[in-house]
Amino acid sequence: MLMPRKVKHRKQQRGRLDGMAKGGTEITFGDYAIQALEPGWVTARQIEAARIAMTRHVRRGGKVWIRVFPDKPVTQKPAETRMGSGKGNPEYWVAVVKPGRVLFELGGVPEALARSAMERAIQKLPVKARFVARAHQEEVEV
Amino acid sequence: MAEVTLTAEAERTTGSRASRRLRRAGRVPAVLYGHGMEPVAVSVNARELRSVLSAHGLNQALNLEVAGTKHLVLARELQRHPVRRAVAHVDFQVVRRDEVVHAEVPVVLVGEAEAVHREQGILEHPISSLAVRADLEHLPAEIKVDVSRLAIGDVVRVKDLDLPEGVTTDLDPDEPVVTAVPTSVTAAAAAGAEVAPTPAQEGASAGSGGEEA
Repeated sequence: MLMPRKVKHRKQQRGRLDGMAKGGTEITFGDYAIQALEPGWVTARQIEAARIAMTRHVRRGGKVWIRVFPDKPVTQKPAETRMGSGKGNPEYWVAVVKPGRVLFELGGVPEALARSAMERAIQKLPVKARFVARAHQEEVEV
Repeated sequence: MAEVTLTAEAERTTGSRASRRLRRAGRVPAVLYGHGMEPVAVSVNARELRSVLSAHGLNQALNLEVAGTKHLVLARELQRHPVRRAVAHVDFQVVRRDEVVHAEVPVVLVGEAEAVHREQGILEHPISSLAVRADLEHLPAEIKVDVSRLAIGDVVRVKDLDLPEGVTTDLDPDEPVVTAVPTSVTAAAAAGAEVAPTPAQEGASAGSGGEEA
């Protein structure tokens, strides 16, 4: 699973999920992508599950790019613990995702196969997301 | 190059709230600048802008009519809404007909790279739009790259591109535009190994450089 090799601070505050993605909203490497439509935290496990769903469906050929990285630690207190005594232990890692963010890209496969693979991957994600294609992205829409 | 006219309204109020109201009313906030003139905040009709840019592309010189004065402009820096993809703002840069301008021209792949697909390879195109210099008359709408004869391992570099006359680029001539690369399937087949990936290989995490399925 994806996680940082080392971090400056072990625990982080939760933060807010306001607004839209500021960057990473365009298809850069592949021909097709999964784009988030709502904000949320995507865990390293969910990223891995989506990747596996996609690569198993594509089977051969194609290339997958993961455009988000889970660099935010999430802490949890142990079960049946009284409140207090400081912040809990880091348990897993998440990527903070805002609407418009491209999560995965896929290249080298026909559009129909890419669409069905990515629809399977979307099922593994905790946010609403959609399939987008580079060909449609570059059309001039106002 | 065909003459295309677009009408803009001057004296719009600047600021996010005023711009939001403009967008709701079917207009796109824009700014007009260039050749030492004071930047002017303008707005254009969203439908007109869409029809002009869809028909002629981003590198079409436009006659922008602002308060009875015509300016020859290029549309620059199209800002889009990240989800809806609607144009939120556009820059219009004043240009002269005889001057050399910088522009980003989309690189379009034509043909089917059958040799690559047959061997389960893929085409990567790291440069999807090329930064070129040309005068307005010679500014192309797109640059076509024929990929039908590519085989795995072939690279189309900037120096291999067939640029129209009067068009130059400042990019490194050896910069790759399209590369036909093997996937893990191709490599496995070449090594005579098992084609289906083992569970251990599938579980390996992917870096930002991408991962072959």
